[in-house]
Amino acid sequence: MRNSIFYVEVLPFLTRFAILIGATILGDVILHSFSLVWVGRYMGIPGTILIVLSLIYSLKKRKIIPYGKPQILLKIHELFTWLGALMIFIHSGIHFNTILPWLASIAMVINVISGLVGQYLLGRSRRHLASLRKQYQLDGMAKNEIEKELFWDAVTYDLMVQWRTVHFPISYAFAILTLGHIVSVFLFWEWK
Amino acid sequence: MNRFVTYFLFANLSIIAALVFLYPHLMISPGHLLKGHRSFEKNCFTCHFPFFGTSYKQCISCHKVENIGVLTSKGVPFVEKKTKSPFHQKLLGKTCVSCHSDHSGVAKYRIEEPFSHQLLDDTTRNQCITCHQRPNDSLHQKSTDQCTLCHGLTKWKPAQFKHDQLSTTQREQCTKCHKSKIPADSIHKQTSDKCGLCHTVTKWKPATFDHERSFSFDKEHHVKCALCHPNNDYKSYTCYDCHEHSRGKIRQEHLEEGIRDFERCVLCHRNANKDEAEWLWKSGRWREGLSGSIQHPANQGDLQAQPTNRSKEHKEDDD
Repeated sequence: MRNSIFYVEVLPFLTRFAILIGATILGDVILHSFSLVWVGRYMGIPGTILIVLSLIYSLKKRKIIPYGKPQILLKIHELFTWLGALMIFIHSGIHFNTILPWLASIAMVINVISGLVGQYLLGRSRRHLASLRKQYQLDGMAKNEIEKELFWDAVTYDLMVQWRTVHFPISYAFAILTLGHIVSVFLFWEWK
Repeated sequence: MNRFVTYFLFANLSIIAALVFLYPHLMISPGHLLKGHRSFEKNCFTCHFPFFGTSYKQCISCHKVENIGVLTSKGVPFVEKKTKSPFHQKLLGKTCVSCHSDHSGVAKYRIEEPFSHQLLDDTTRNQCITCHQRPNDSLHQKSTDQCTLCHGLTKWKPAQFKHDQLSTTQREQCTKCHKSKIPADSIHKQTSDKCGLCHTVTKWKPATFDHERSFSFDKEHHVKCALCHPNNDYKSYTCYDCHEHSRGKIRQEHLEEGIRDFERCVLCHRNANKDEAEWLWKSGRWREGLSGSIQHPANQGDLQAQPTNRSKEHKEDDD
């Protein structure tokens, strides 16, 4: 029972998503309880900044930037997107007044789910590739080299490649819809 | 990214972009506009200036300032006026959006108060009655039109009645207003209506009255206040005219001990215990009553003059 697919694969995935939704509801309740609803209007800004910062990992992966350890950058990518999504969820939960931000929010939900799927697939790929570690050790590779090699093997594993063909369009759609929302806010905001 | 996916993605995004321009009131507008402005919903730039928000100039091009509160934007007189008197003409600032929200989605999350009296010029701000109605109760019928003497500019309550606005005579007639609130206990039953002798005009408690600080009662001194404070004058007291405390006898007893200043009895006699009085006299601790560490009626403000004068008279008698 404990080793079933549900416990090993599905439950951790669902838990991560449930925690995000739970934290959103909690944040929303806290803001309403302390009459801080107006704070929610501005939480979209730090949320967006965190998500933009998380893209450093994507730049590293495409070798656009030379510095940074990919494992750490991936962790930062996961953490910042989770926190950024949480802030934007709270921001959206408080201000559902028009369609474009709705679409951006829906795109973000899909993006977050897709990200969690990617996180799961990466773990699975790593487990599959763990057997390769022995092979590398037998080949006499240094420990650091092995870790680095295994990481890139995992992210380029076939399943991950297929996942990326889905994740990227979702991310682009989310980015463009968010940009549209931000531009419209800048265009019509009362700067007084 | 797969070419088909790319085309599909950008085709969809292009459709959404087109919808934003065709139906801005649905796609980007934060809620409906007020009823009278519904016809502008599809053209955001009727009111908004790109990247600079809305200018009051856009508003007053239709809503003439001199007519606000008097005539509608179409020049028709208001049937039901929202305020007793038009006040927009007297506002200091020219930012309509400080008070007014047009989009229903924004209006419900406004931080600002709907109206701030700080926006009014000084003269108008002090003429509360032009917009507000005086409460129809006895307290407010006597008060002036300057509501701000007691009330704040943001809330009617809490209010603090300031006795300063009363004349000296009115201020001394506490029971005219506070009659029903005089406590029915043994102390207040015997007092006059000069509450200010013990109580302040800001709070009923703490009150300064504490007889123990001047003289402790015991079973032999549990008497009516007027016996020691004739004519309900609590600023002075007398120990004479009570069984053995005749002036002659007291004078004689004290002169025998070399005590010539015996008119201010409670400096030494803080209770019925003679030994304690003697100790206070000999140790010099009776002076504490003068310094204020022990409160004494003769040591309070204008009362100080009275015992001194009487003491002088007594010395002259001696000579």
